[in-house]
Amino acid sequence: MLERPTELLVYENDALPGYHKRPRLAVFPGTRDETTAVVRALYRAGAAFVARGAGTGLSGGALADDVVLLGLQRLRRIIGIDVAARAAIVEPGVVNALLTRAATPFGLHYAPDPSSQSACTIGGNVAENAGGPHCLKYGVTLNHVLAATVLLADGDEVKLRTPSPPHVEYDLLGAFVGSEGCFGVALDITVRLTPNPEGVRTMLADFVSVESAARATSAIIAAGIVPAALELMDAATIQAVESSIYAAGYPVDAAAVLLVEVDGAEAGLDEDVRAVEQICGACGARGVRIASDPLERARLWQGRKKAFGAMGRLAPHLAVQDAVVPRTKLAPILAAIAEVGARRRVRVCNVFHAGDGNLHPNIPYNAGDPDEASRVEAAMREIMELCIAQGGTITGEHGVGLDKLAYMERLFPGDSLDAMCRLRDAFDPLRRANPGKVVPSHSCREWVGVTGRQTAP
Amino acid sequence: MLLPSDTAELALMVRDAHDRRAPLRIVGGGRWQAAGAAVATDATRLEVRRLAGIVEYVPGDLTLTARAGATLADVDDATAPHGQWCPVLPWGDDAASLGAVFATATTGPFERALGRPRDLALGLEFVDGTGATVRAGGRVVKNVAGFDLTRLLVGSWGTLGVITEVSVRLRARPAVDETWALAFDWSDEQALARRTSFERGPYAPLALRRLESRDCQALGLAADRTLLARLGGNGSFVAAARNALRNLGNAEACDASTWTRYRMVYDGHAPPNFAAALADPLSQRVRQQFDPRYILNRGIFGGRPE
Repeated sequence: MLERPTELLVYENDALPGYHKRPRLAVFPGTRDETTAVVRALYRAGAAFVARGAGTGLSGGALADDVVLLGLQRLRRIIGIDVAARAAIVEPGVVNALLTRAATPFGLHYAPDPSSQSACTIGGNVAENAGGPHCLKYGVTLNHVLAATVLLADGDEVKLRTPSPPHVEYDLLGAFVGSEGCFGVALDITVRLTPNPEGVRTMLADFVSVESAARATSAIIAAGIVPAALELMDAATIQAVESSIYAAGYPVDAAAVLLVEVDGAEAGLDEDVRAVEQICGACGARGVRIASDPLERARLWQGRKKAFGAMGRLAPHLAVQDAVVPRTKLAPILAAIAEVGARRRVRVCNVFHAGDGNLHPNIPYNAGDPDEASRVEAAMREIMELCIAQGGTITGEHGVGLDKLAYMERLFPGDSLDAMCRLRDAFDPLRRANPGKVVPSHSCREWVGVTGRQTAP
Repeated sequence: MLLPSDTAELALMVRDAHDRRAPLRIVGGGRWQAAGAAVATDATRLEVRRLAGIVEYVPGDLTLTARAGATLADVDDATAPHGQWCPVLPWGDDAASLGAVFATATTGPFERALGRPRDLALGLEFVDGTGATVRAGGRVVKNVAGFDLTRLLVGSWGTLGVITEVSVRLRARPAVDETWALAFDWSDEQALARRTSFERGPYAPLALRRLESRDCQALGLAADRTLLARLGGNGSFVAAARNALRNLGNAEACDASTWTRYRMVYDGHAPPNFAAALADPLSQRVRQQFDPRYILNRGIFGGRPE
């Protein structure tokens, strides 16, 4: 347990710069039983808490504002791997990449692969419904969680599972995944493991305009090819990566590159590769390079996965953004984002899951310069408004946390926000778990009092 | 019987039923009547079939939004000309309403390869038991904005709200799509082992079902015991998959419509039993939040008689 301000300093923020909240104290239980004991003690004491995995979140979701921070990273046991059932049961603090490493001897892996996978935890992934490049083909965390034992804020344990057909129970596990720590704490999580594909082809297509790369993306999806991943990086990102230690050999004079990967049975791969090459060519690609060996493939991917890190060299701070638009809107939205960047005089670096329409327009800046900081904030607000206006959403994989709270009322009508509050109230009627996150509290109708449940009017 | 023509009218009807504590029985295409046997007999029928039609379909996005009363056939008619489909393809016929398929989370023979309703629903609109109209999720393929009411409503059998609109993820129909019937005379253990090994091998099929004599007869297949396989993908993939399948035995080509008939004759599920959900305290709390007077499909999921 930590309670001195100097010790708590490192727990004041997550991976999203710009938000700092000091916890009242931080507790790090070492076992499942200790976790249960801590949560029950907090309940008796009437204290709110915030569960935290590795602190790699990008929405301020794991910040504890003068409440208790419950760190779960010591619960890092892989309880079991069932090779025949292709499943693993893990404690919440198991690091994503270490689960895949443990499954590798059996020809299996854990498919959701957020860029922070070398540090982030499965518990945090479940809380955020984390995505990653390969979620285009394999699905997000929701599609890979089979069951969980959840400790509710009042100390009760519930076992949740994905309903199997015929589906005769509420999908409370589906509701729990992505609930950002507001519904309880997962004590153990059963996840699906995915067989490693027989073959993989990784391609890098090189474009002289962002618009043509966006059009190629839409055309690949519309053609019915389901790439394992389809990522777009623009010139600003390419230059940031290529001037860093993560240099991947991307063409520095390109306006955009697409990183396209297809996987599956060897027999079908080359036909998909030819189709992708042809579509990229028809959309104006200067060339399509195919990684010739696993080393080159790893290098192409490293540049993508470390792109946020590479942007860190450009300026002291990085505004990280996450939004989704319909895939046919990619080209116009990228043009509109470029216009906003130019008008607000900020440098937007786009690196994102193009195949899903999941944008990450990031802006490196100096938060110490009030003028620049306000221009960045204004640009981000405009970009979010553009995405909402195009029929998109305000977050595809980073979560609402604190950062996106203000946009929830732009996206959802009052009755929808109220319904979300009611779902939370079924799990945690006193709102002790991660208070003040996801749904603005003033959006909840207050007919459920904190002292007890009243009947509906 | 109540037959609203739009969401606003439906919401007023539910609000009125809430105020009068009058139970409602929610009916889509009317194809799941047996499953509704648990619903209180004094409930008034609330039919969503006039909430029909496609709201939005942009083929390039591979997403579609339709009103709950649209049938699977309506969705198929819209998407087929673009070489796409809504990959739920559930048990039963295509007169089923989209709303009912998602409300009951009905799967079908392709669930493993193409996803279940919970994997394919992007968002929906519903009217809860107080008459409030709620929008959940959205129309884009990736979305973590707010708590996931979409997953909550899918498979809730009309007990948390009446689904009025659904947004679904579509897929491109496979470039090559072949169906093969493979007659076999293996022992049960052999059949299971071979089927599992094929399903888990590199040539994962869209479906691989073991048919017993009753289903074989209904589909007009000569053999008593048959593996019915659907292979989909690009030409090279399907050619390799076909070879692998033929290594198991003598396979005959069938028409893809065999699957449509199989979905209608298949009767392998136990009738729904809601007993476990009735007893779960968390499920009861959820129900109380969304249908505090227990008017929606009372009898299912904690439908407490008053």
